[in-house]
Amino acid sequence: MSFLQPWLLAGLPLVALPIIIHLVNQRRFQTIQWAAMMFLLAARRMARGYSRLRQWLIMLFRTLAIAGLVFAVSRPLASGWLGLAAGGRADTTIILLDRSPSMQERGSGTGESKLETGRKQLAQTLQTIGSDRWVLVESAMNEPYELDSAAALLNLPAAGPASAAADLPAMLRAAHDYIRRNRPGRTEIWICSDLRANDWDAESGRWATLREAFLELPQGARIHLLAYPQAATSNIAVRVTDVRRQATSDGAELLVSLSLSREGDSEEKISLPVQFDIEGARSVVNVELVGSKTELKNHQIPIERSRERGWGRVSIPADANPADDDFYFVFDNPPPRRTIVVAEDAQAQRPLQLAADVAPDPAFQCSAEVVTEDQLSSVEWDQIALLLWQAPLPTGADAELVQSFVDRGGVVAFFPPRNPGDEELFGVQWQTWVTGNEHVAVETWRSDEDMLSRTLSGAALPVGQLEIGGHCGMKGEFTPLATLRGGGPLLARVPTKRGGVYFWATTPAPADSTLATSGVVLYAFVQRALAAGSAVLGKARQLDAGEPDGDIPTPWNAVTEGDQGLSTEASFHRGVYTAGDRLLAVNRPAAEDGASVVADARVAELFHDLNFARVDDAAGNLRSLIQEIWRIFLATMLIALVLEAVLCLPKAARAAGATS
Amino acid sequence: MFSDRHPRRFLDAQVLSRLVGMPLFARRPMQGSVSGRHASPHRGASVEFAEYRKYVPGDDLRRLDWRAYGRSDRFYVKEFEADTNLRCCLVVDTSGSMGFGSQGVTKIDYARRIAGTLGYLASQQGDAVGLACVAGGILRNLPPRRNAPHLRLVLDLLEEIEPKGETQLAPALHELAETIRQRALVIILSDLFIEPALLNECFQHLRFRRHDVAVFHLLDPLELDFNFRRPMRFLDMEGGPSIFAEPNDIGDRYTKALHQYLDQLRGFVLESAIDYQRISLDQSYEQVLIRFLVSRAQSKGLR
Repeated sequence: MSFLQPWLLAGLPLVALPIIIHLVNQRRFQTIQWAAMMFLLAARRMARGYSRLRQWLIMLFRTLAIAGLVFAVSRPLASGWLGLAAGGRADTTIILLDRSPSMQERGSGTGESKLETGRKQLAQTLQTIGSDRWVLVESAMNEPYELDSAAALLNLPAAGPASAAADLPAMLRAAHDYIRRNRPGRTEIWICSDLRANDWDAESGRWATLREAFLELPQGARIHLLAYPQAATSNIAVRVTDVRRQATSDGAELLVSLSLSREGDSEEKISLPVQFDIEGARSVVNVELVGSKTELKNHQIPIERSRERGWGRVSIPADANPADDDFYFVFDNPPPRRTIVVAEDAQAQRPLQLAADVAPDPAFQCSAEVVTEDQLSSVEWDQIALLLWQAPLPTGADAELVQSFVDRGGVVAFFPPRNPGDEELFGVQWQTWVTGNEHVAVETWRSDEDMLSRTLSGAALPVGQLEIGGHCGMKGEFTPLATLRGGGPLLARVPTKRGGVYFWATTPAPADSTLATSGVVLYAFVQRALAAGSAVLGKARQLDAGEPDGDIPTPWNAVTEGDQGLSTEASFHRGVYTAGDRLLAVNRPAAEDGASVVADARVAELFHDLNFARVDDAAGNLRSLIQEIWRIFLATMLIALVLEAVLCLPKAARAAGATS
Repeated sequence: MFSDRHPRRFLDAQVLSRLVGMPLFARRPMQGSVSGRHASPHRGASVEFAEYRKYVPGDDLRRLDWRAYGRSDRFYVKEFEADTNLRCCLVVDTSGSMGFGSQGVTKIDYARRIAGTLGYLASQQGDAVGLACVAGGILRNLPPRRNAPHLRLVLDLLEEIEPKGETQLAPALHELAETIRQRALVIILSDLFIEPALLNECFQHLRFRRHDVAVFHLLDPLELDFNFRRPMRFLDMEGGPSIFAEPNDIGDRYTKALHQYLDQLRGFVLESAIDYQRISLDQSYEQVLIRFLVSRAQSKGLR
């Protein structure tokens, strides 16, 4: 139980008043010589049971009455928020609101989402507690801005649902920066979230830094977590994995691949009507969902021959979370897939050029151009999808060109030069070549994701059949995608914010490896890299909400919009937008479809040593988190007074005229 | 009568003068030593006819009723009631509890007044007066005498008595019942703070000895009402342990215990045909005595 006026609890010692008065009264006794002792002794013998209890009851009720009064004026709150508002009214209250799609999940038997319930609870609770200043940090912008009151949460568009994932560490960082910048007095931070693992990123090193930063705050900050960890028992999410337009003999068609994933334990086989909406033209196909995930590959939807560019939407019947029941996509003629090859070794250059030049589909226009390092500045980089580099790592202006190419979203694959130098790019440096008489086999590779993943048909790439005659070591921070026997990396990816940077430990030259002779792996790699690199070149783009592309002009105009949000926040709401000559489909990030929740113990660890309190709520909960319960104490006081009065009532008038 | 003595502070001459015209009667036949105004169990020479009895040789021929002989041709002797004086034994409780009094007068003072006045009245009508002071036992005992000097002794003793010691009324009354010659008027003045059952045994014993027993039960108004407001420490006047009590707490039960005691006592006095007078010390002792004497005059003649 907490109190809104806890300082009034200082009056609690007053409960001792009846006892003190009783004791003082007893000290003020009179002494009298008394004759009729036999009646007093008899009276004392009679003072058993209720008679003796009565005095204690009177004392108890008097004490209760005072305690009830003191508690009532202290304005007690019934809540699970231990120690809530223990220091009185907060100077600043910062609200961190998770608006991610998973927060739009509805509770069973209610039409209210976690986000709506959380906003209501926060508005009601914080309004009751009160604060001098209100600050909102919502998950889309991660920027603090001040509110007039806690009740503004209910109507604020910026507190509504969004399609972007939340980044709790970043939100807490924003709150911390605000506190450090504004130096408020007593600060309370209220986090409203569903504890999704992707939003919390609990394993990130940022948490340790954040914790230290909060511990160092001189005024401290109390953190309250209003958690909605309960996942829906059954929720299905739809996601379009691929959209292609291809010409047919009698026109054109769209090949749409999608996946349906199901949360919860249910393994029941269900038939789900999936609706396709291509710019208003709707069609429905029933998809059988077995287990937790089902994929539909290349579903053909006929379109007009003249329609080369457009948008569509896939939707499934409404379920627990309406935010993942539809998915928008756009299509366009694929952009030309242009590759720049820079190679010092002709034997390596030729396979690379061939792999980049041959299109996997007639719909794609692939071309590969071999340039020297001197010609790099004359390349039209904004039309290039892939850079294949088999030469000493670039330095100076060339390195900057490559860096900006990657930042724009391009993909670079580096192959080792014949004579590795001490150049370093993307934090990686070539080491020395290792050659031997025997070929080294590939030991492991990531077949579940990235460039060496299985094909669409599910078959694994024949990476294991590669024979590596010589490989060059590399040093730096990277993620191995394939490793050689002995532990050395064969293919590694350097983490970058955008684009892709890959380092191969060998070249396609016949002396170095069988990448060229067994060309499947090299070809798949190059074409996948091309696809990834060209994704940012097309006029029609699939975007994850909350990840705006700097190249895309503003403003965005909604063609169709899923969430109702501010136009300035278009990139955070799912829907189809036009921006200049581009057509953009914005959807929730893939990580949002995962239902994993951060474990309670882990959450407690994250806030270890901080002034932290947590309460779990459920979507659609009608009960307020806190309630003022002073009426109960007032009633207790009144009841105690009445009972005390009843007990103190004189017995029937003593038998008058004992004298005869 | 007090010319050679200092005035007794417990005797009021005006009260005595008002009461002297009211005789003190016994309710039962008394066995006195001389002729008096009280009924005797024996036949005598009073003017009140008692019965006819057959003549037996040796009877005084002057007592033959010749008219009866004329009517029945048999010899009858006419007998008359005898009148005698009484022996009045005043029993005054002098235990410590008799020193209590909240109205400016203690129980022992009140007892002195009643005992002194009654003694004087009895003496004036020619009855013998005695005094027994009892507390832990019979402390002093003056047997009944009917001469004036003896009355002075009684009054002197009344003046000397002090409330002291614990109450052992029951053994003392049993002893008095045995030692006082049969058919006497025994007047007990006490607060009777002993168990009613023990008192009842004493009353039965006195009744068995054919004594006419009158009891003045002296109680202080404070003892009856118990109207204290503040916590009190009650010190036993007879040396027992003291008791600390909150009057608001214990008052009800005290009253209940008192009433139980009084009810029980009332039952016993009715059963024993005791002339019981419950006196509150705020009552005028003159009125108490008038009521007492009048009630006894009304019940005179019971034999």
